[in-house]
Amino acid sequence: MKKTLISGAFVRSKLFWAIVAELLILLVGFILRPDFLSIQLRTLSDGTTVLFGTPVDIFNRASEITIIAMGMTLVIALGGTDISVGALVAVSGAIALKFLRWDVLVYTTPGDYTVQPYYLVILLPLLTCTLMGLFNGVLIGKLKLQPIIATLILMVGGRGIAQIVTNGKQFTTQYTPFKFIGNGSFLGLPLPILITLVVVLTVVLFVRRTSFGMFVESVGINPNASRVSGLRSDTIIIIVYVLTGLLSGISGLIYSSRISSNDSNNAGLGYEMDAILAVVIGGTSMTGGKFSLLGTVVGSLIIRTITTLVLYFGVVSEAIMAFKALIIAVVIVLQSEPVRNAIAKRRSKRIALGGEARA
Amino acid sequence: MPENKTMTIASGRRMRNLLTNPKYLMVYATIGIFLLIYLFGALLYGGRGFTSVRTFMLFFSDNAYIGISAVGMTLVLITGGIDLSVAAVASLTGMIIAYGTTVLGIHPLVCIGAALLVGVGLGALMGACIQYLNVPPFITTLTGMFFARGVCSLISRESISIKHPLIDALAGFKIYLTWPNAQGEWVKIKPVASIDLNTIAFILMIVIGTIILQKTRFGRNVYAIGGNEQSATLMGLPVSRTKVLVYAFNGLCSVLAGISYVLYVKSGWNLSLQGAELDVISACVIGGVMLSGGVGYMFGTLFGVLLKATIPAIITFNGSMNSWWAKIFTSVLLLLFIIIQRAVIASSQWVKKKE
Amino acid sequence: MQDIILEMKDIEKTFPGVKALDRVNFTLRSGQIHALLGENGAGKSTLIKVLTGVHRMDAGTILFEGKSIRPTSPMDAQRQGISTVYQEVNLCPNLTVAENIFIGRQPMRRGQIDWKTINRRAHELMLRMGMDIDVTLPLATYPIAIQQMASIARAVDINARILILDEPTSSLDENEVRNLFSVMRELKNQGMGIIFITHFLDQVYAVSDQLTVLRNGRLVGEYTAQEIGKLELVTAMIGKDINEIYNLQKAQPGEDAKAVLDAQNIGIPGKVENISLQVKEGELVGFAGLLGSGRTETAEMLFGVTHAAQGSISMHGEVLALKTPLDAIRKKMAFCPEDRKRDGIIADLSVRENIALAVQATRGFLHPLPQKEQQELADKYIQLLSIATPDADKKVGELSGGNQQKVILARWMATNPDLMILDEPTRGIDVGAKAEIQRLMLEMCHEGRSVIFISSEIDEIIRCSNRIIVMRDLAKAAEMDGSACTQADILAIIANEGTKEEAV
Repeated sequence: MKKTLISGAFVRSKLFWAIVAELLILLVGFILRPDFLSIQLRTLSDGTTVLFGTPVDIFNRASEITIIAMGMTLVIALGGTDISVGALVAVSGAIALKFLRWDVLVYTTPGDYTVQPYYLVILLPLLTCTLMGLFNGVLIGKLKLQPIIATLILMVGGRGIAQIVTNGKQFTTQYTPFKFIGNGSFLGLPLPILITLVVVLTVVLFVRRTSFGMFVESVGINPNASRVSGLRSDTIIIIVYVLTGLLSGISGLIYSSRISSNDSNNAGLGYEMDAILAVVIGGTSMTGGKFSLLGTVVGSLIIRTITTLVLYFGVVSEAIMAFKALIIAVVIVLQSEPVRNAIAKRRSKRIALGGEARA
Repeated sequence: MPENKTMTIASGRRMRNLLTNPKYLMVYATIGIFLLIYLFGALLYGGRGFTSVRTFMLFFSDNAYIGISAVGMTLVLITGGIDLSVAAVASLTGMIIAYGTTVLGIHPLVCIGAALLVGVGLGALMGACIQYLNVPPFITTLTGMFFARGVCSLISRESISIKHPLIDALAGFKIYLTWPNAQGEWVKIKPVASIDLNTIAFILMIVIGTIILQKTRFGRNVYAIGGNEQSATLMGLPVSRTKVLVYAFNGLCSVLAGISYVLYVKSGWNLSLQGAELDVISACVIGGVMLSGGVGYMFGTLFGVLLKATIPAIITFNGSMNSWWAKIFTSVLLLLFIIIQRAVIASSQWVKKKE
Repeated sequence: MQDIILEMKDIEKTFPGVKALDRVNFTLRSGQIHALLGENGAGKSTLIKVLTGVHRMDAGTILFEGKSIRPTSPMDAQRQGISTVYQEVNLCPNLTVAENIFIGRQPMRRGQIDWKTINRRAHELMLRMGMDIDVTLPLATYPIAIQQMASIARAVDINARILILDEPTSSLDENEVRNLFSVMRELKNQGMGIIFITHFLDQVYAVSDQLTVLRNGRLVGEYTAQEIGKLELVTAMIGKDINEIYNLQKAQPGEDAKAVLDAQNIGIPGKVENISLQVKEGELVGFAGLLGSGRTETAEMLFGVTHAAQGSISMHGEVLALKTPLDAIRKKMAFCPEDRKRDGIIADLSVRENIALAVQATRGFLHPLPQKEQQELADKYIQLLSIATPDADKKVGELSGGNQQKVILARWMATNPDLMILDEPTRGIDVGAKAEIQRLMLEMCHEGRSVIFISSEIDEIIRCSNRIIVMRDLAKAAEMDGSACTQADILAIIANEGTKEEAV
């Protein structure tokens, strides 16, 4: 009896196809431009050494989406969606920059004042986004509103709030500690990658080391049965949306730190879409239930790899969307239930045929 | 005689139902709140022309592209689906017309034909993907949106203005509203108000949408699918065909909305109408269409569009408020409406218990 | 002898791992009511689904009025003249009753749907079924029984040659069942062939002419209603002697056993009112009554699924404030709900996770049960309840109904409850699993736990209960000694004023 190298269950899993897709895209890039996969260690003028190269760049630039997508995975596992995350990214940046550029608002003489103590610049945006997540969570968990509509409120209103916070202005900052979040590096790795690693690890540990993941899946699969079995689904829902709000805030800080500025109109634009796509490509079903955080990371990388690849070959940035759409369409069609079943059936038929021949 | 009696009882019941039937409560709420906000605007800015016929007609012509798209979206939402690609397809329509007419020198009607083909084709393709591959509508149409936007940018990254006699003629078409003056002659009303092609198209689409939903089997199947798709299949309704057609029809509406927008701004731009899909969806939701499917009326959608139009109008009339307040007010309005929806659902459940 | 309208020959259907139908034959004549019988998993629904085009058969022929057919979808079957009423109401809750009856074949007038005719004809149809209701209200505003009648009205109006009724009576009261039967007889006299599937044997004898019995995907036999007796029929269905399974020993709580649960005048206005009951240590209290008599509502109040607005509930003498099921679980209560699919299993989670769920819920997610303990817990109950699963990691949704029920039972036994409430734990599962669950309940009582057992099957209640509470019209109608009452006594109480007036 010959054993297959990869088990059938894994081949049928969406994660497998996501990984295959990511490798294929990388391979295409490598064939077209062999330096696509090269990584070098460079020393900067200030003496720090940093890894450079497209793969590092992909990881670095995927940070914002990956961080949000961690929360989005849990949201989708609960059978919901959170389309307010992009607006929360804008809110986070707006609040950070407001406090970073206190001078413009409070002091008449120009200069780079920040509000004191300085860590408020980090804490206040995160706190605000967490509260906004709580707002979403209460609407969905307590008032039982449909997630898409409940989060539509902040999606529409959030950017308005961001504009009101900064009075419609765009500030820039030169405050180095803040710029370090998005542009700095540590141990040779860009800081956003490290932040992402910490976030991913924390969420994975929180979800899988406690029973939280199982509770989320349970509520996502069958909310009624979960309640009868003693789960407090409203609390679980609220925790998940609060977490997603917080993560959007972190993502917003990275974004605004990268551009050293706030941008209420464009910060986080379309992030909700990218994050949801990352989750779905990663193999978590939109209908809720079983989820895969690892799959989501792969999904987020796929999205970023496509973008990087297309940019690499000089396509205008706005047109990337068309390529993204095509590749995502292929991935989604490959992952769709009828296609996966058809592939699995052909495999099993082959095995069955072999069996018959032997008999 | 006994049959006659049954009939009168039945018609009496129907009158009562029309008023108390929970099905219609959402639409009443929309109309009521529209009137309230309109009254609010009238009290504050009535002196500055808020209540003029001109302002009222502008609600229609300025929002025609939202309204036309909302007709198709209403159908999609009633099936329990969603379509995020509408604004991108409308924008693509604009690009095709602008690029074809201005850069390639093709007759606009040919460009419109091409746009219709693309829009309806993409809609049908997305519908097929949703129906036959079981890909969630959100993801399918999101991909469709990316695709359409990307193609827009591939065509051109610059805004292209359209100069063609046909487009000018269509955009310039106006029926001025007149009334008899003291001498009995028909003169234009003051301030000048007119009905333009966009307004006509908007109203016409609402009427067509109403007929489709209320008077055709296709429309009723749309409701049935939204009510319970599995049941609809078991009842022998053509679920697959209906769903694909709904998305194709929505593609058609997106293209028409795009044409309407072209007539409104007379140019094509790859980034035009960004985020307009949310305006369309929220107009439907405010109009009482439920995202969970099965519930909604064209009439409600009409008032949803108008209600959404009054907010920026009031802010414009105020003059001192920033435009972003419109976003905040819209979101407050959304919150209000979904809470009303909750209450309506709760009350209809109460009816069920009482029975 | 009437003409044969349907002949199914040597039908075969295999699902992955299961042979659902193995060379099954079935013949239906016009003007005949033909009961299709068998335990769960016997292949009744698969046979029907093959006939209605939901599944494609692997082999065999279907002759419909002499012509060979192969329906490809329910729509296709319906077009050919085969219409079906399913056990669950398969209509659209958002449409009106009238529209539900006519959708897909609405009368048209000048190219438009003729609403007037639809509403008038729907009203007539419902009147014929004995229901004078406003057909222009959404279906969701009516109780299940009326919804079920509407779906029967829909099927009847299709003018089909064959009408399939798949357990249509499970949510109807006696009066409604009588109405349905008279409609069925009327259709039969018009020459329609009716396939009738039900679990209620009395109904089989009341209305059917012919009986076909399936077991494990095979045909056992075809009989006329006159020639086969009830006991013989049951034996044909389950394949073993019925008395052999039903050898149970009732629990015997001591005279001075302490009260575990004491509920005083609990109720929710408009739902159930003024219910008092006591359950003693080691006692099994049975709840009898029709569906909708308030049994489930009472159980849900006791467990905090719904909040009891009136009265008081105490466990071991301590008054409880139950807001959520979790509060009840913490006070050592457990509850197997009636609707296994909706309120019981988490289909995509593994057997292990399903079993550990309630225990974990009481601990909170921050104190997870170690993987090893979870596994031990699962293994213990898989063995104890002889749950048929290859391992603890199999998805519960992939198990059979009886085994799913056992998993839910295991979930609650794992919490080590003092009081277990079981709402219809034996419904829709095969006789073997049924007996096993009854045995388990009694074992729990022997261990000194208390059980509240709700069931529609009165003989089952009598067989197991120490005390029986009879519910009627959302209130407690009687409380009787379980060892000294008969089926007739209970039926008399249920039937007393049992036919409620249809409110118009």
